[in-house]
Amino acid sequence: MKCPKDKSDMIVVEHEKIELDYCLQCSGVWFDSEELELLVSVLKATGAALSGTDLLRPREAEHAEARRKCPVCGHKMQKVWLGEEPGVLADSCPLGDGLWFDSGEMQQVLQKLGPQDTQATKDIISFLGSAFPFTLGTDKRG
Amino acid sequence: MWEQIKSNQIRSVMLIVTMGTLLFLVGYFIGLYFLDSPTAGVILALIVWGMMNLVALFQGDSIILAMSGARKISPQDHPRLYNVVEEMKIASGLEKMPDVYIIDDPALNAFATGRSPDRAAVAVTTGLLDKLNRDELQGVIAHEIGHIKNQDIRLMLLASILLGAIVILAYYATRIMFYSGMSGGSNRRKGSSGGGGGAAVIIVIVVGIILMILAPIMAQLIYFAISRKREYLADASAALYTRYPAGLASALEKLANSNTQVKNANKATAPMYISNPFYKGGMAVNDLFATHPPLADRIGILRAMGGASYADYEKSYEKVKASRIIPASALAEAAPIEARPASPESQAGEIRERVERTRETSDLMWRLSNYRSINCGNCGTRLRLPPSFNEPSLRCPHCGYVNQLETA
Repeated sequence: MKCPKDKSDMIVVEHEKIELDYCLQCSGVWFDSEELELLVSVLKATGAALSGTDLLRPREAEHAEARRKCPVCGHKMQKVWLGEEPGVLADSCPLGDGLWFDSGEMQQVLQKLGPQDTQATKDIISFLGSAFPFTLGTDKRG
Repeated sequence: MWEQIKSNQIRSVMLIVTMGTLLFLVGYFIGLYFLDSPTAGVILALIVWGMMNLVALFQGDSIILAMSGARKISPQDHPRLYNVVEEMKIASGLEKMPDVYIIDDPALNAFATGRSPDRAAVAVTTGLLDKLNRDELQGVIAHEIGHIKNQDIRLMLLASILLGAIVILAYYATRIMFYSGMSGGSNRRKGSSGGGGGAAVIIVIVVGIILMILAPIMAQLIYFAISRKREYLADASAALYTRYPAGLASALEKLANSNTQVKNANKATAPMYISNPFYKGGMAVNDLFATHPPLADRIGILRAMGGASYADYEKSYEKVKASRIIPASALAEAAPIEARPASPESQAGEIRERVERTRETSDLMWRLSNYRSINCGNCGTRLRLPPSFNEPSLRCPHCGYVNQLETA
């Protein structure tokens, strides 16, 4: 799959049986909706506090950042905020193919997770953090 | 067994005869209008039809499979799928193992194609392999094998060749008519046969236009005529082959559920559907059936079956639809068959198994796409590299360890 930012071929990183597409050039991460769905069902099964109303709630965002194209379907993705205000900027495919996180965006997310954030948002973001501790600087050795 | 079903065969023959007659008429009018000889037109139609037949004979299934992006797999590529197909091939009494294809698509779908039961293919999507457990997958495969065994694929192929020939002829005829009418306004018929030709020309034009309009509707008619009833029959076959009607019923429920999800996934809600995974579906699915009445009926019939024989399916069908479906010839020879219990599989294990299934399938798809797979030397994280990757080393994004790579 091609990185939506710099069009280089992304590698696939398998973390806890979930596959993530990772760009070696820009450290951005593509979270495919199939894998996202899989992660959510795993979290549910392991008793994580995900309730029916506890959704990953993206809000549409107005942002000057260049619009990227979905690496799966090629449609222009929408900027969305994840989590509570001010939230973290991500790109969401209009057809629901998945979410794209710039590497900077991921770092913001990890720092900004607040008590108001829904459990789903926290779980997914912290999963990304645990998948790329080195890249995101959450690993001390990094 | 199904080959003996008379009513089914009569319908099929009538369908083919009707379409053949249509083709004949199209050729006749083309001949009358363009070639001054109806016979020549009919011959032209036959040539087009014959050529399409030849293409279909040698290429038919591979064209369909290529169009859908299906890849053929061997037994070691995906043993689970291959085993299930083999089981159902044996259960159905099919003589030759169909080719097995996988389509890289998260949607839940499967189809069968081929020109005869001896030269058939079954294709399933990766989404289906990920989300269905063994009993459900078995149900779906049995349903597709049912289509092969019941000669549905051959009829579909025949009908689509005829339809294709009609569409091509009608399309070019109306095109030529249109352009020759534009340029100069005088067509050849008018010059040669004076007054009487006028009426004939109008008739031909009208018929041509009607055929043009009819062609896509014909496609729909074929779809309904063939698939509606045959879907039920293939379901009945699937119940018989698997001896477990609940497997297919459960697979259809997942299908109904996922269809609705995709439909609902507009730009605002798309990322949200992840929080509504399939497992909660079992009960809530009922509301969704409203949008898919045939699917709901099919599930209802399968769920209400007492055993797994054709007679059980017939009884259940009568209850749900208040009509009959299975011809007497099949019922007469049917011995009572007990449904088998579900394969042992706990609900808690279900999700773990689903993850395993997903990785099993994606492993295969990466392999088929020539991705290289390595485990990080430090943390063991599985990394997959695209064929274009030819750096000598790779820093693991998880732990930062620099892995030295063998040059390919």
